[in-house]
Parts: sequence; C-alpha cells; structure tokens
Amino acid sequence: MPAPRLGHPLLGMGVGLRSVHYPHILAHQPEVDWFEIISENYMDSRGRPRYVLDQIAERYPIVMHGVSLSIGSTDPLNHEYLHKLKALAGSVNAHWVSDHVCWTGVAGRNTHDLLPVPLTEETLKHMVERIRIVQDVLERPFVLENPSSYVTFACSEMPEWEFISRMAEEADCGLLLDVNNVYVSSVNHDFDPVEYVENVPHERIVQCHLAGHTNCGTHLIDTHDGHVIDPVWELYRRAHQLTGGMSTLLEWDARIPEFPVVHAEVLKAKQHIADELERVAKGRNSSRDDSPITSGDAAIVTEPVVPHPAVLVTAEVE
Amino acid sequence: MNEPVHQLDRLQRWMQSVITHPEGVSAGIESETAREQFDIDVDEIETVISRSKALNSIERLHVYGNAYYARLIECMAGEFPATQTALGEEAFGGFVMGYLQVSPSTSYTLGDLGRKFPDYLAESRPPREIQGPDWADFLIELATLELAYSEVFDGPGEEQMELLRADDLLAISPDKWGDSRLRTAASLRLLRFQFPVQEYAAAVRQGNEAIVPQPYDTWLAINRRDYIVRRRPLPELAFVILEQLQQGAPLTDAIETAVADHNVDMTGFADRLREWFGSWTRDGYFVDVEID
Ligand SMILES: [Fe+2]
Repeated sequence: MPAPRLGHPLLGMGVGLRSVHYPHILAHQPEVDWFEIISENYMDSRGRPRYVLDQIAERYPIVMHGVSLSIGSTDPLNHEYLHKLKALAGSVNAHWVSDHVCWTGVAGRNTHDLLPVPLTEETLKHMVERIRIVQDVLERPFVLENPSSYVTFACSEMPEWEFISRMAEEADCGLLLDVNNVYVSSVNHDFDPVEYVENVPHERIVQCHLAGHTNCGTHLIDTHDGHVIDPVWELYRRAHQLTGGMSTLLEWDARIPEFPVVHAEVLKAKQHIADELERVAKGRNSSRDDSPITSGDAAIVTEPVVPHPAVLVTAEVE
Repeated sequence: MNEPVHQLDRLQRWMQSVITHPEGVSAGIESETAREQFDIDVDEIETVISRSKALNSIERLHVYGNAYYARLIECMAGEFPATQTALGEEAFGGFVMGYLQVSPSTSYTLGDLGRKFPDYLAESRPPREIQGPDWADFLIELATLELAYSEVFDGPGEEQMELLRADDLLAISPDKWGDSRLRTAASLRLLRFQFPVQEYAAAVRQGNEAIVPQPYDTWLAINRRDYIVRRRPLPELAFVILEQLQQGAPLTDAIETAVADHNVDMTGFADRLREWFGSWTRDGYFVDVEID
C-alpha cells in the first residue's frame, strides 16, 4: 500500500498563477503556500511570463499543470513537447507535473479542449502504456486529473471512478482530484459524486482542484469563473477526510477578480477542514450523512459560455 | 494504426470531425470524414454518444461543438483585439472560422494559433476596387502588427544583456565605419505599412475610440525593453538605414545605400544621423559592433 499522497509533500493552499496577477504578486509577495502554473504558457516563453515565473519560483513552491499532453490520444506522444516540459520542470523545480485524463486532438490537430475518452479496457491499456512512457521521460512525479465532461460514450464499459482508479494503479501514477469536475460530471452524467470520491484510491491523490462552474439548467459547464459552491465544498471535505489531506488549489480563469479575492477563496478550505474535524471529533457522521449532496443552487445561465481551458497570455504593448 | 487502439482511434477521428464541423455537429455527423469512421445518421447517434436524463446526445455534443469555435475565437480576439474592433465581433468570428478551416491548430500551444492569420487575410482578400490602399490592406496590416506584438512580447529579448551604448558607437573612428557591422537586437522588427496601424491598435488597447485612419506610408520599428513591447515610427530614410544594418551591411554601406535610393538633403544630415543613432542606442536596437 503506497504512502499517503504517494509520499509527496502537503503543500497547503495554492492558487493558479495567471498573468493578470503578476504585478500584485511581485509587489506584495502574498502569503500563498504555493502556485500552480499552466505549463504551456511558460515552456516556450522568452519574455515576461518566464521572467516573472523565475522570480516567483525562487520564493514559492511550484507545481506544473498542462493542457496539451493528450495522454488519451491515438496520435503518437510529442517528444519535443515532453522534453520541453521536463526542462521547465527542472528549472522551476516543480514538485510534480500534471495533466488531464483526456485527449485534445487526433490526426495531428489540437482542438485545445479536454475531450473525454471512452471508458473501455482498450483505452485503459493504451493510456497506461503512455503514462509509463511519460513518467520515464519526465523522471518527476506525474499526476493526472479527472476532467469535466459533457458526453459519455455508448461503448464505455465502466464508471469513471473505476477507470481512473485502475489507470492510476496500473500505471503507478498520482491523481489530481478535481472535486468541481467530479461534481460537474456527476450532474451531466447522472452519477453519484460521493460514490466517485469514496472509491478512488485515496493514497494516490496528491493534489486537489477547486473551482467555480456555470449552471446551464440542463447541464453544468466548467468555466472556472466564480466561487466554489457548497456541494463542491462538501465533496472537498469528504475527500480531505478520506485522503488525510491534499495539496489544494483554486482555479479561476475567466472574469478573474483581484488576487486577494482568489486567495481568500482557497483559504476557505481551511475552515471547511476545521469544520469537518470538529464534526468527526464530536463523533457525528461525516458530511455525507448529515447533509446529503444536492444539486447546486447557483442561478441558471442561459447565454453561451466557454468551458475551460482558454488560457492565453496576451502581449503588453507600451 | 495499432490494432489494439483501433476502436479508440475511430472514435476520436469521428468526434473531432463532428465537433469541429463549421456548420454544427449534425452536419458533422453527416460529413464524409465522420462517415469514414462511423457511417451513421443523426438519428442513430445514440449508438455512439449516450443521452443523459436532461439532454439528448446531439445536445450534449453541441457543448463541444460550440466550445471549439467559441474558445478559439476568444483566444484570437485576445491576440488581435484591434483587428477584431475594426471588423466587428461577428465578422471577426467569421474570419477566424474560415481561418481555422485552412489552418487548424497543430501545436501544443495557443501561442501559435494566430501565426498564419495575417497570411490568411491576405490570401482571402477581395479583389481591389480602388487605386491605392484599401480596407482589406488596412485589416491585413493591422493583423500583421498585432502578430508582431505578440511574437516580440514572448520571443527572444535583450533584457539580460549588455547592449551597445551611444559612447561605444562614438568610439568607432570614421575610417573604421566601412568595416563595422552593428548586430541588431533579436527583438527588433522593422515593418512597412500603408496605414498608421499602430495608432489604431494603440487606441483599441487603451480603450479609446479607434478611428480608421487615412492611409499614409508608415515605417515602424518594434522591439522589447524591460519585457514590454515598444514601437517607434521612423522617417523612411532612417528605416532603410536600420534595415540595411539589420541585414548585416557595414555602417558606411548601410548609409550610402539608403542615401543613394532617396533624395537626401545633405544639409544637417550628419546631425540627423547622430540623433537617430543616439535614439536607437537608447532604445536598445543594437547588441554590439563587430569590426572586421
Ligand atoms: Fe482542474
């Protein structure tokens, strides 16, 4: 049985680094435990993004989060990309490198979306082989995240929690549990999010994502554009209890507020952890039993929204 | 393709052609490329994509279809804000959709997404109806400028280098000018335009009212200093000298070539040269000098 978090450090409460916050972070050096960067925004940068990152990496622990590995694609792995990823990880001393259980394109193309894979034995075998190759190249802890998704496939043979559990165990990699994604997909695909959180291998969960989403009435879209809603906090508390603690990160990628607002949102996790501990200490049942998870009460949005990811660094011109 | 991932491969090729179809997912399902993988009609979709309690399979696929174009149009608008303002949101979206048919992303980074956009606008421009620069030229030039801005912003720069100072230049004795080559900064771009597109782009980026300018010849030097992109309009003669230097011409040749091509009033020319080289060294256009 692996050690909790596969033995990786508990980094605390982190925030996703976004270019709009560079001036605030450099000027105020906020007391953030750690930062997560979008790997692709820095691996080729020879300008300000990379310069700022180097300064931030001197002071804060860094974790790398990618969106283009396309681990589930049938296209060959891009070794140039992998080597750039490895070089960046080395130079910012990333604690681990993550990406998503998805494919982003095929036939040489990149849709820049995190597309779901069919949950079959065939896909599982294919992905496990590729994860092993990626780990051999990176020589650094490698972690995969459950994405939000909007379709399921008729050919799928198992629930998602089973797929990612077997994938992580067979490939011997870590998991990044995005509790917002679990919630979004559970609503979109009519499954029980608590069953999901309870059944993934907890000792492999090294990191957790929190984010806001958009309620479209008939489905949810993972927009990373707001506060974390209560049912997602409940999943977080449950996951925290089961794992014994995860490095926790808040993602905010659209309609991004001032840095202190984003930071305050992730710090709420501390209160949720404290509440959960108190509940357990008082001998009460866990959150699941005293307040069953219900659908979000967020207002329904009818105008079109763009799901994450669309993180582009734009030029600064005098 | 390896036999083991045959099904997965078919599914991915099918889904990609469905969700990226410019006329929507239903047209995508009926398209030839999708039918090569799964020869199904729209009403047979549930054999591939399951429904949920609240949405049918087509509605669920729409989420990905809408997101593909919306996301990439949003990224292109981030990189080409002035081009989008000039065209209007709807027409800009239409051009980006056309562009993505010809040049879909094949890169791991969104940083490469707009690389061929100015070329696409140039290749798809309507025939000329007036003499001289027209509306299409304005749009092509604006997109060219904005692409240069993003390339210079995140490309190689000189921030960590010692640059050539005016004193270093003055220290070269005039009899060595014929053998002296100035190495220009990697971030330096020299662009000729028929419209002062930089003014329009600046108005948009600063949130001011942007008015489409009358055409006039514009020579622009763009570089990066302290990680910010800088631009400087130049007189034509100064531009040509810089261009010669950038191409590796020795100092004397660069000046002579430029002077020979232009009717130069030689009175005060030496003063103007000194002034130009002074501002170019201050702006960080030169890395060093090589004397043969
Ligand atoms: Fe996430």
